[in-house]
Amino acid sequence: MRRAGQEIIRVGIIIILLVGCSALSQSPSVPPKHPEELAGRTQVDCLECHSDLSTGALKPYTSFSHSTAFVRYHGLYSRQGQNLCQTCHGASFCQGCHARREELLPGIRQGDRPDLALPHRGDYLTLHQMDGRMDPGSCFRCHGNKNDAQCRTCHR
Amino acid sequence: MGYARIGNWPRNRMTLLCAVMLIIFVAFCPSHSPAADITFSSKTYLLYQKKDSAGSAAKTFAPLYEYFSADARQLGGSSFSFHFSGWGRTDLRDQTGESATTGELGNAYLQYLHPTGNGEMRLGRFFLTEGAAAEIMDGIYLKGRTALGLGVSLYGGVPAEDSITSTQTGRSLYGGRLFYAKPGLAEIGLSYLQETGPFQGKDRTEIGGDLWLRPATFLEIIGRATYNEATQAMASQRYLLRLTPINAIDLSVGYEAYNYKDLFQTTLNPAFEFPALDDKDRVQTAFVLLEWKLVKSVALTLGAKNIKHDTVAIGNANRGEVGLKYTYNNLRDAAGVSAALVNADREENAYQEYRGYATYSPASWRFTLDALTQQYQQAINAVSQSYQVVGSAGYQLSESMQLSGDMRYTRSPRYDEDYAGFIRVSLLLDTTTGGKK
Repeated sequence: MRRAGQEIIRVGIIIILLVGCSALSQSPSVPPKHPEELAGRTQVDCLECHSDLSTGALKPYTSFSHSTAFVRYHGLYSRQGQNLCQTCHGASFCQGCHARREELLPGIRQGDRPDLALPHRGDYLTLHQMDGRMDPGSCFRCHGNKNDAQCRTCHR
Repeated sequence: MGYARIGNWPRNRMTLLCAVMLIIFVAFCPSHSPAADITFSSKTYLLYQKKDSAGSAAKTFAPLYEYFSADARQLGGSSFSFHFSGWGRTDLRDQTGESATTGELGNAYLQYLHPTGNGEMRLGRFFLTEGAAAEIMDGIYLKGRTALGLGVSLYGGVPAEDSITSTQTGRSLYGGRLFYAKPGLAEIGLSYLQETGPFQGKDRTEIGGDLWLRPATFLEIIGRATYNEATQAMASQRYLLRLTPINAIDLSVGYEAYNYKDLFQTTLNPAFEFPALDDKDRVQTAFVLLEWKLVKSVALTLGAKNIKHDTVAIGNANRGEVGLKYTYNNLRDAAGVSAALVNADREENAYQEYRGYATYSPASWRFTLDALTQQYQQAINAVSQSYQVVGSAGYQLSESMQLSGDMRYTRSPRYDEDYAGFIRVSLLLDTTTGGKK
């Protein structure tokens, strides 16, 4: 299975490089950067300017409306296309939380942004015992094989 | 700085990678034509914290952090860009970690974004989410979509992981995703991920499926499932049905399930291994979440979640939550209150949480206040309530520079007193060096 997988990847890379960009769709890609400055607001609504489909992501802008549900389950969308996130948020935004190694909690780094839905606010050191017992999968997504240096104190 | 070591791979692997990237960078950005759209960001943080815990001496921490990122887009007027981010820390008082200084390389990669077909290439260290993958890796990533809607992505390299044990981290990581997208209607993907390494005696091999469907303009169905080839079983599933009948309402209903043995087989963290966890358990979660914009500036959130374990000893739990958010001052400020109640079969898992916050940004100033309390049904260290209050004040010194400071007080079962001060200096520079815009 492993060898077959490696072969598929190798052949795939060669095909992509050989065929190159000529086979790509002619529909415009997601732009590398949002053309207008979006900073300084608590929440941006894409629908203020966009009403149709993103030609790069091929999904309607309503899908990316940053409602509570979208923010909480954004991983479902990002697994199908990460570059649209980067257009507005930049290349390093995701790693504000999804880091290989992080010491400062996002809620501390951005203590001046209580309006943001940042993980682990308050005394989460205590609360993680309860959430972890009930739903360890929610911890696993970020701490399963990275960003777990803070676990060292107790989990050996 | 300890960031260059990844598992058994030597430090010079990153050096080699950076050298290759630098060569490509120079090739696409010759010195006589330094055209680019460049953004620099520097965020300097000083945390000052006193912790007084029962049974041990009080400690004072003063770590100084520098977070730096740089993005150079449209190199030489092309579709190439270079992205870098990382952080470093030095302790000015008691040591906060294993060493008094440390740091981390977050990103360092060259990116090509093709103008059409969402074609993309990345080379270097980057965070990748693609099908079964949500990885930080040193390597290459290619993606493109044809006019028929069929697309493929491929990646390969070395995972950038961090293990809290002395065991190795993953040695190599590669995979890909085949997908089909019909504009505005559907996207379906099948992905494969292979990581060689010490994952409880086996490699990590995952087969993933992802789906996005929009059968009606007000309805989305989105989901993802992962099959663990090493344990020969479905590891995890998550599905979400999202209804937006009108712009003011966003209603989501979801289901999630995972098997401990099959999901956590890929861990490097002993917190997820037997006996820390009963690896025979299975969790099923059903949830509903409603966000209703009562008026343009006021949003009400209601949520409920049921967590069910196959193992009776763990017990089940229900969580209910309600929140209200008000935005004002031309969307620059917000205030909100929220409450959450967790009922559990086992008393030790039950708690209540209440929170309130407000921000106020007159002219160049910004003030915020945030208060949070948690009440545990079963006292921990004879304490049944924790609370935290954070006050912040900031001033925009110039268009590119901001200075702010927080004061934070925490009372918890772990610390009798926990005071912290936090100073942040943010600098953001955006410039163009004559490239094609």
